[in-house]
Amino acid sequence: MNDGYMGQFLYVDLESQTTQKLNVPGWLKQNYVGGKGFGAKLLNDLTPQGVDPLGPDNLLMFLTGPLCSTTAPAMRTCVVCKSPATNTFLDSYVGGRFGAEIKYAGYDGIIIRGISQEPVYLWIEDERVAFRSAKKIWGSDSLTANELIKQELNSEEPTIATIGQAGENKVLFSMINCEYNRQAGRGGAGAIMGSKKLKGVAIRGTNSVNVNQPKRFLAAVKQATAEISAAGDCQALTVAGTSYSVPWSSEVGLLPYKNHSSQHDPNVRKIDDTAQDKHLFLGKSACLGCPIRCSQMGAVRTGKYAPFVTDIVEYESVAMLGSNLAISNIRDIAYLTKLCDTFGMDSISTGGVIAFAFEAMEKGLIKAPEEVALEFGSTKGAEYLIRSIALQENELGKLLGQGVKKASEQLGHNTSDYAVHVKGLEIPGWGVRGAPGMGLAYATADRGACHQRGFVIGYEHGGALYQGKPVSPHGIEQKAEIVAGEQDYLAGLDTLIKCDFGSFGISAQTYIDLLNSATGQKWPVGFIDDLGGRIWNLVRLFNIREGLDRKSDTLPKRLTHQVLEDGPQKGHRIKPEDLERMLNEYYKIRNWNTEGQPTTKCIGLYGLNEDHEFKLKEQQISLEQEDTET
Amino acid sequence: MVNLKTKVIIKTHFDLCTGCLICQLECSAWLFNGFNPHRSALNIKHTNENLYHFPIVCNHCENTYCAKVCPAKAISRNEATGAIVVDQEKCVGCKKEYCTVYCPINVIHIEPVSRKAYKCDLCQGAPRCVESCPTGALELVTRISFSQGENE
Repeated sequence: MNDGYMGQFLYVDLESQTTQKLNVPGWLKQNYVGGKGFGAKLLNDLTPQGVDPLGPDNLLMFLTGPLCSTTAPAMRTCVVCKSPATNTFLDSYVGGRFGAEIKYAGYDGIIIRGISQEPVYLWIEDERVAFRSAKKIWGSDSLTANELIKQELNSEEPTIATIGQAGENKVLFSMINCEYNRQAGRGGAGAIMGSKKLKGVAIRGTNSVNVNQPKRFLAAVKQATAEISAAGDCQALTVAGTSYSVPWSSEVGLLPYKNHSSQHDPNVRKIDDTAQDKHLFLGKSACLGCPIRCSQMGAVRTGKYAPFVTDIVEYESVAMLGSNLAISNIRDIAYLTKLCDTFGMDSISTGGVIAFAFEAMEKGLIKAPEEVALEFGSTKGAEYLIRSIALQENELGKLLGQGVKKASEQLGHNTSDYAVHVKGLEIPGWGVRGAPGMGLAYATADRGACHQRGFVIGYEHGGALYQGKPVSPHGIEQKAEIVAGEQDYLAGLDTLIKCDFGSFGISAQTYIDLLNSATGQKWPVGFIDDLGGRIWNLVRLFNIREGLDRKSDTLPKRLTHQVLEDGPQKGHRIKPEDLERMLNEYYKIRNWNTEGQPTTKCIGLYGLNEDHEFKLKEQQISLEQEDTET
Repeated sequence: MVNLKTKVIIKTHFDLCTGCLICQLECSAWLFNGFNPHRSALNIKHTNENLYHFPIVCNHCENTYCAKVCPAKAISRNEATGAIVVDQEKCVGCKKEYCTVYCPINVIHIEPVSRKAYKCDLCQGAPRCVESCPTGALELVTRISFSQGENE
């Protein structure tokens, strides 16, 4: 039956260099749909408790959903593993074409376990899977690796995911780079690839993806596309990509400045959408099937670092490698972002880590080598640290490559006061003093500080209505309810796998129409929230299994104790007692006990007590011994 | 005297193409009822880290290399649409795949199961790729020729 799925997972064991094809059972499609849902279920069922994130038993999964690879607009791919940065569940999303190609090759996902003896990359052409030596490629940056693999395969056709040196060196915030400019950025998935000695995955497929009801599907695609065209936020993304948020964030006073010591950047005009349009933008690029085309491609044509091709400097990179480091030359920020991309490091965490180091330096707790100034505003200082971290070539790089949480634990001296993270994941480019609901969203997000598990700022400062009414920007009432609701809805859509930018336009009903016409199911619109709730709780159970508790649902001292001294949110902080109140309320709404554990009632509500278990042996279709090519 | 002839073709605009592949997805669904850009009739070449995207469509040539090399004479112009088309009845699926070998822009393809050739037929005059392109990077234009074609 045509249902948008390919019906099998590719299971790769790097240790024995074997592959298996696993059945995707009907109950898994029904209860978990795809993406984050598949990831939550498989990570729970297929990894042992306490699994070492960088050990052989951690899984690296590239997962798709029934709508990926079709014309359903703005769909992405999902990378799932246990994070080495947070020790929690990690789902990291990536656009481009990589996920679609997984389906064209005939799979709904790729599940990778084990550690290879020697560096390898995978070359997947439909049924054929080759373990190819990556000895000659190891040590190259993520873009060079892409090029070298293409040369070796003598083809420009495969789509490739690679890691750079940072991933090889297991930097805890290293990422996976999918060509081009599309990254599974957050939480250290690159280090998982590096730990497995897997330099890249190249893939190409000849299968067609078929939906259940083509005519109804086409109508739903047209509706989704029309909703995107009509949405103001989507239009803004088409014109200027995420850089359009820079002036807005600054105007409402949420743009982090100098390691979150302020939320007001006096130089914002030099780095906003207008500045980028003038100095960088040349044309537009889109992910597969997406009419929004948010990627503004360009080049740095002049200045010290010219010439090089650059994507838009995304909002998060501007905020974290620009404002948060007090660097206001947009070409410099583009350069630092490109360094992060090629070395393969998340620009959000990298910005957080460098800002932390600059502040520790100011306070005399870190020594800089004589020739570099490690201080706010220094592009050279930031570049020095990026290289040190990615290549792990000195003590400072080794300290900082673990992220601000572990670095502050080693440095001591109250450095944890300005180590700005939740659960070990550095806070992204949205300050939350003056936006307490967003603070709660950071404190409770499953993968650590994340702005994509409920963007409450949209209600608090963006004018979005909650149940038809405006929301108080600074009050704490209702915020727990909003956060839980957003988390569920977005987790539901992360099974499809939606891009946030598409969801700015596409309605819940249209997502359901897309899903139903593709799969042949008859879900009501409320299915998204129910599904999301089930997944959110399953992920919570995984995180608790791995040692997370109430104490981890918190915010760093910088945000709870330091009152903002300037900018539109002057005078604000998130008071610890306010955070406690919101958290208590949040647990209550979630049916969790005061320790933040799902209650028996809650587990029953989502049917997690009588859930199937995904067992490898039961789902095995075939086992194949593969030739290792050298 | 000028011999004025008109013909509808697809014109590509690389400056507007975003590489979203919606054209290829629609084309593949039209041809095979399922989505896969590799199975569509047109190509897109992505260069310079995605700074540029070049759509490549059938030229519906005046000088038809593919038709000339076809041993089964299966490729000809459809008089109604002006498109160069493959007659699936006549195509013998020859092993040498002459038509694909001698098309310099690789827009004539072999269907993996039947081994027969397929290519752009302008969707009988209303191309799905042009219709679905969100940016106007593909455009249906009338080609006006002032001279006598050498091969007509």
